[in-house]
Amino acid sequence: MSNSPLLEIKDLHAGIGDKEILKGLSLTVDKNEVHAIMGPNGSGKSTLANVLAGHPGYKVTGGEVLFHGKSLLAMKPDERAHAGLFLAFQYPVAVPGVTMVNFLRQALNAKHGGEMPIREFREKLFSKMGLLKMDQEFARRYVNDGFSGGEKKRAEMLQMAMLEPSLAVLDETDSGLDIDALRTVAEGVNALMNPEMGLLLITHYQRLLNYIKPQFVHVLIDGRIVRSGGAELAEELERTGYEEEEALVAGGKA
Amino acid sequence: MTVATEQKLPVVALSKAIGAAEGDRPATAQLRSKAALLAEAMRLPDSYQERPWKYADVSGLDLAAYQPGAAANRGDEPESFRERYNLEHLAAGSTLVIQKNGDCTYSEASPGVTVVEVAKATGEEAATIDAKLGSVVPPERSKFTALHYAYMRGGLLVDIAANVEVPEPVRIVRELQVGQLAAPHTLIVTGANSRVHVVEDFRSSEADILALPVAEILPGHGATVRYTVLHRWGSNTRVFSEGQLLSGPDSTFVSTNLVVGGRLVKGHVESSLTGRGSSSELFGVFVGDHDQQIDFYTLQDHIGADTRSDLLYKSALADQARSAYYGLTRVGLEARNADAFQQDHNLLLSPEARADSDPVLEILTNDIIRCNHGATTGPVDDEQLFYLESRGVPRKQAEAMLVRGFLNEVLARVPQQALRDEMEQIIDEKLAAVSS
Repeated sequence: MSNSPLLEIKDLHAGIGDKEILKGLSLTVDKNEVHAIMGPNGSGKSTLANVLAGHPGYKVTGGEVLFHGKSLLAMKPDERAHAGLFLAFQYPVAVPGVTMVNFLRQALNAKHGGEMPIREFREKLFSKMGLLKMDQEFARRYVNDGFSGGEKKRAEMLQMAMLEPSLAVLDETDSGLDIDALRTVAEGVNALMNPEMGLLLITHYQRLLNYIKPQFVHVLIDGRIVRSGGAELAEELERTGYEEEEALVAGGKA
Repeated sequence: MTVATEQKLPVVALSKAIGAAEGDRPATAQLRSKAALLAEAMRLPDSYQERPWKYADVSGLDLAAYQPGAAANRGDEPESFRERYNLEHLAAGSTLVIQKNGDCTYSEASPGVTVVEVAKATGEEAATIDAKLGSVVPPERSKFTALHYAYMRGGLLVDIAANVEVPEPVRIVRELQVGQLAAPHTLIVTGANSRVHVVEDFRSSEADILALPVAEILPGHGATVRYTVLHRWGSNTRVFSEGQLLSGPDSTFVSTNLVVGGRLVKGHVESSLTGRGSSSELFGVFVGDHDQQIDFYTLQDHIGADTRSDLLYKSALADQARSAYYGLTRVGLEARNADAFQQDHNLLLSPEARADSDPVLEILTNDIIRCNHGATTGPVDDEQLFYLESRGVPRKQAEAMLVRGFLNEVLARVPQQALRDEMEQIIDEKLAAVSS
């Protein structure tokens, strides 16, 4: 197991209903690596995030995904979380009536397969909230209910901090954030990153990557990775946009 | 379905015997005999004709099968009764009354609180009862209310003097152990600027029981009354309950019905906002499973000017359980500046569960602040479920969390932490039984 890469996606085909969105996507992410997947709207970015997390609305039609060398696609969503996968949602849903603290406690207990002592839990919660510069009052609020855009993203980061995943997938974490909120969230991610962990950033724009530096950048067009490079690729895309890449893909098809 | 032939019940004779055993004063005896005649003459509510009864077909109910005024169960509670009733969390010295089959077995009142049995009251309290009993919910409202007054036993007056604030909830535990027709009455009369929370805690055995509780609530000028009913009936108990507020000026009323037990719980909750500047908040939280039926009718009746009402009813239904909600918000001609809100939400936990929901507005004046209503019915939200699962919470547990969260929105409005915890625990126990 220690020899297998953290995440291996091989020729993944997936979509909604009969519509194929991912058309043979391959990608390997190892520990201590930060990857960014960039692409225009409709290229399959959110589909990839949802398929990895096991959203029941998406159907996998081909290929495989190995996580710590085991088939991820065979696992239920909660089992994926227990195995160390975390998805920070682009649009986290509100869960009125369920407090953050209750939610986090149940999630942690489920992951550890038993009751974590309440004191230990509280100490951990408050230290992670401190790390993310969050007010303790936040823990008593209902999950994402009435949260601002920035609060939602910080709540996602808090969940990530508490669950300590080996692979975190951040789906458009920069969307809906002003520059200050973006900086706070990015600082949080950087503080949580460790050498045993891998990070997959999914983003339309380059601006998140000013704060979280990827070693690898991949361009996703029409359900496939069409180009990979280093951090400089993101800057190039910021200047040129996706049209050139899209044209190349369109040309290849013709 | 055939309409049952009207059942002839010997109500008058039975009710006389109960009145004699209770030791009725003349006013109560008069109310009782009037009700007995009505009960003999009246028909059962007709689900085709009477809107609040649309979803509760009672034509097949065999009233003759139920014996009113069950065998006496006198005797004091043993030392360990707080443990037996799960009441250990109640604050020491707070008001507690326990009735078994209509007989008082324990009674303790905190300073400023008067709780007295209708038949045993004397002096001013007797005068209050004689003047108010049956004045808010009249015997002629339905055959069930007529039967209630005819067979009433162990009725209680809760009387709070002016300017008294009762810090801890007043708890009335009424337990029915043997098969019977039970008619418990609660009359709450409060003085100006007083404040009290009365918790009526209904429990029953698995015997075949028909319960016809009535509550009449009369808050004084500027007073606040909270009235919470815990319906923890056994699964063979049918309940037809009436609760009605008649508001004093600037008074506040908060009603909460928590239903987890009973085969059929039919509740009518009426709030008559007569007093200028008065307000009412009506809450309901129901969890049903198997073939339980929970059916509530509510009335937010804005009669006086500057009145405000809010309503939030929520049900979670498993198996073949059914809920029905019919709620009327009425704004009368004189009810200027009325502010009314009404919401009914239902969560269906199985494909066979069913909820009918009819919130209705009837507005007779243009001069209102707000008058809104809304209703939803549906299964647990898939996106919420996936969100919790993606954080490692297994599906079953995630579902339970969502149901609890859904109902918590009502419980969050209970101000006393200990009572809120108790209500949460009642719901948790019910939900655990549902999912197992």
